[in-house]
Parts: sequence; structure tokens; C-alpha cells
Amino acid sequence: MKLKTATKLPALLTCVEARPLTDLAEVELRGCYISDLLSDVLANAQPGVLWVTIHVHRNVVSVASMKDITAVLFTCGRKPEPDIIAEAAEKGIMLLSTTLTTYETAGKLWKAGLR
Amino acid sequence: MSAAVTVEKKKAAARVAQNANGHKRYRGLHARLTGAVRKPASAVENTLKTGTAGEPVTPAPAVENPANAAEKRQVSFVQLLVFELRVRDAMTSPPITAAATDSLRSIQHLMKAHRISGVPILANDVLVGIVSIEDIINALDGGHINEPAEQWMCRKIVTLRDHFSLVRAVAEFDRHGYGRFPVLDANNRLVGVITRGDITVCLMHQLERRAEEAVAKEATLVATRAADEKAHRVVINTDVKSGDFESAGKLSQRIREVLRARGVAPEILRRAAIIAYEAETNIIIHSLGGRIHTSIDSIKVRIKATDRGPGIENVDLAMQEGWSTAGPLARELGFGAGMGLPNIKRCADEFVIQSELGGGTRLQAAVFLQKAGTTL
Repeated sequence: MKLKTATKLPALLTCVEARPLTDLAEVELRGCYISDLLSDVLANAQPGVLWVTIHVHRNVVSVASMKDITAVLFTCGRKPEPDIIAEAAEKGIMLLSTTLTTYETAGKLWKAGLR
Repeated sequence: MSAAVTVEKKKAAARVAQNANGHKRYRGLHARLTGAVRKPASAVENTLKTGTAGEPVTPAPAVENPANAAEKRQVSFVQLLVFELRVRDAMTSPPITAAATDSLRSIQHLMKAHRISGVPILANDVLVGIVSIEDIINALDGGHINEPAEQWMCRKIVTLRDHFSLVRAVAEFDRHGYGRFPVLDANNRLVGVITRGDITVCLMHQLERRAEEAVAKEATLVATRAADEKAHRVVINTDVKSGDFESAGKLSQRIREVLRARGVAPEILRRAAIIAYEAETNIIIHSLGGRIHTSIDSIKVRIKATDRGPGIENVDLAMQEGWSTAGPLARELGFGAGMGLPNIKRCADEFVIQSELGGGTRLQAAVFLQKAGTTL
């Protein structure tokens, strides 16, 4: 029961103090993938996961959309431009931003039960 | 008269005939070419200006409306023809000629028989003069109609070369006011005669031919589209610019929309989208620009990416995961993982790549819509 709550957006993201950039729906995450290489995400990320990256470029939204990634979490306090956020919202991809580093984020998410 | 002035006048002439149908639009030009407007150039211009100001139908438009823009395009098409076509395309050839020793009477008969108003005179195959209808009238008046041509013909002849453009020919007609010019080839041999009427006829024929070509092209296009529809085929042609990272992903988005509407399984759909995306970003990152041709039918998605170079030095190396030649900007954006081509190969049911250093790269990949392939 505790695990199930912890893998749901947005409850899960309180542990990394993430600020939502788009509207958040209460969705179960199927896992997490961390990479800053777009082709790597295209090749190896599973659909329905949370993607953690430092990239805030438009192509992140394209790749996330292509892989049916549920949400993207930007680390190190990075935020995409408003038009990119709007594009993500239109494609149904949730965006969040945290001031933590990718390493800290990974640790906290793992600890919270996102496997 | 400079070419620029001529162009301006043609535009003005076309404006006057704004609401007329296609060929009437060229009324002004036609009149000038056929010599129907026998006025000095400046007078023509003034008349047109007055006409424009006096007609409420044709106010000088401050904002361009689509009709005017279309008209401008059509006029410029005629201008294009006038520049493109040569005197040899329009002239009457072979010309009707007479010998220097022929009597003016026989030349008069020649004019009547061929319905022409001027005859070049040859002596030993060399152009020596010209007899016009005016010379015949003068001969009838003066009673020397039975004398040989060489005594009365005009010896001061202005000729055109067969390689001159029609625009130059029109300018020469304007400058000299003659009704016709003998035309010489590069060896000074008389090869034809050209009149303003010849130019008009030639232009009209060309316009007709071009129009027919356009209609035929349109018909082919419609037929192709009908065949595509029958095969349930969607064809997407995308031009990809080098370095245009902002546009990346639009093609794969479109492919996904088409496939999703057809109820294709998400896994198959994803593979097709990844191929398109990786092919697109490859062109953006590595090439001088290229094109992606995508065809989707009920059996498979075919993606053909071609670029204009510079080509891949070692295709085997490029196919290795992690090997990349991407520049710093691409890497900064998260590209250049050296996984693009391996990703495409893994997602594709059919895959071919050909590349030549100094030439371009051609990549062809296909994803079958029915068969389940590798899972991603």
C-alpha cells in the first residue's frame, strides 16, 4: 500500500521537492529512466516511466512523446522555455523541475520506492 | 528602350485588363508586339497611366490582393518566355526571297501569293537589299514597276541574328519601326524573316504548349493520388535542413498520428517513429541537408532518407554503438550518443544504408505493420 502511493505522481515527487511545470494528473509510474542521451532514451526507456534529465530542449518533448513517457523531471533547477512546456502539455506529457542534482534525485526516488 | 521600362509597361498593360480572361490579359503586350499600337513608347505609357487613373475598377492597390499577385505571376511568365525564346523559334523559315534581277512586278506577285509585305533580295546567296510593299506602291506611282529590284530596293538593311532573344527583337522593332527584319545565322546566311506577328504567334503557341504541359502534369498528379488512395497509401515528403534542431520530431509525430488513426499496435508505431526521428536528426546533425520520403500503406511503413553529403567515411564504424562524429552543439543537446544508426537498424524489419564520402548517404528502412518485430 505504501509502495503504491509512493509510485504515483504527484505524491512521489514531494520527496525530491519537484515543482510542476504542467498540470499533474495522479498517474502510476511504471519506473524511471535516467539519461541525457536522446538516442539512449529512444533505445532503452520503457513506456510509462518517469524520465530524469538535465536537457530542457524541445527534442526532449519529442523523444518523450515518441516513447510514451509519462513525465519528465528536469534536475539542477533547469526549466524549458514556455513554448516547450506548452508543447508538452498539448502532447499530454507532464513536466517537473527540481533543484536537486540528478544523482540526489535518483537516490531519493529509489528510496521512495520507485523501482 | 531599356528592358526595365518594357517590363513596367507590360505590368501596366496587364493591370488595365485586370478582369479580362487569360489571353485578354496580354492585350497590351499583344498590341505592342503586333504593332497595333502605333504610338511612340512614351505615349503608350501615358495612355495607360490615364486609363488606370480614370478607371474605377483598377485603383492602384495599396495592399496586394491575391488576384493581383496571380496576375503578376502570369505576366512574369510571359516575360520569362520572351527572354527564353530566340528569334529562330519565332521567325518564318525558310524565307520567301527574290533575286536582285527580278522585276518589281514579279515581287508584287510574290507578295500577293504569300500574303507578305516585304521580300529580302539575294544576289549569289548574299542578302543585298529588301523590297517592301511601300517600294511597290512607289513603283506603281512612278511607273517603274517592271524594272529590276536592284534599282529600287532598300540597301540599308537592319538584320537580326537567329540567336537573339525575342526581348531584343521587340526592342529592335521599337527602335527602328520596321515591319520585319531579315534574320542571319552565325555564317551571315539569310535563314528567315521575323515580324511582330511572328513573335505574337510564337508566344501564344508556347503559352498553349506550357498550359497543356501543366494540365498533363496535373493529371498525372491526380492519377498518382488516386492510386495512393486505392492502396490506402499516405506519402509524406519532408525536406530536412542541416542544423535545424528545432524542427526535429515533426515527421515522426505525423507518422505516429497516421498509424494511430489506423489502429496500429503502439510497439510497431513506436519503432516507425524512432526510425524517422533518428533518420531526421542524423540529417540535421551530420549532413548538408536532405530529404525524407515516407510511404505508409496497409502493409508497411517505408522510410527513405537521402542527404546531399558529405557522406560517411566508414559505414561499419558508424553502425557501431557509441561511435559518433557529432559536433559539440549536437552533443550539448543530447545528440551524438552514437546510437542513431544502431537504433534504426534495431527498429527496422528491413534496413539498407549506402554512403560514399564526398557523396551523399541513402538510408532505407521499413517496418511491417502486421508482423510483431523486436520489442522496445
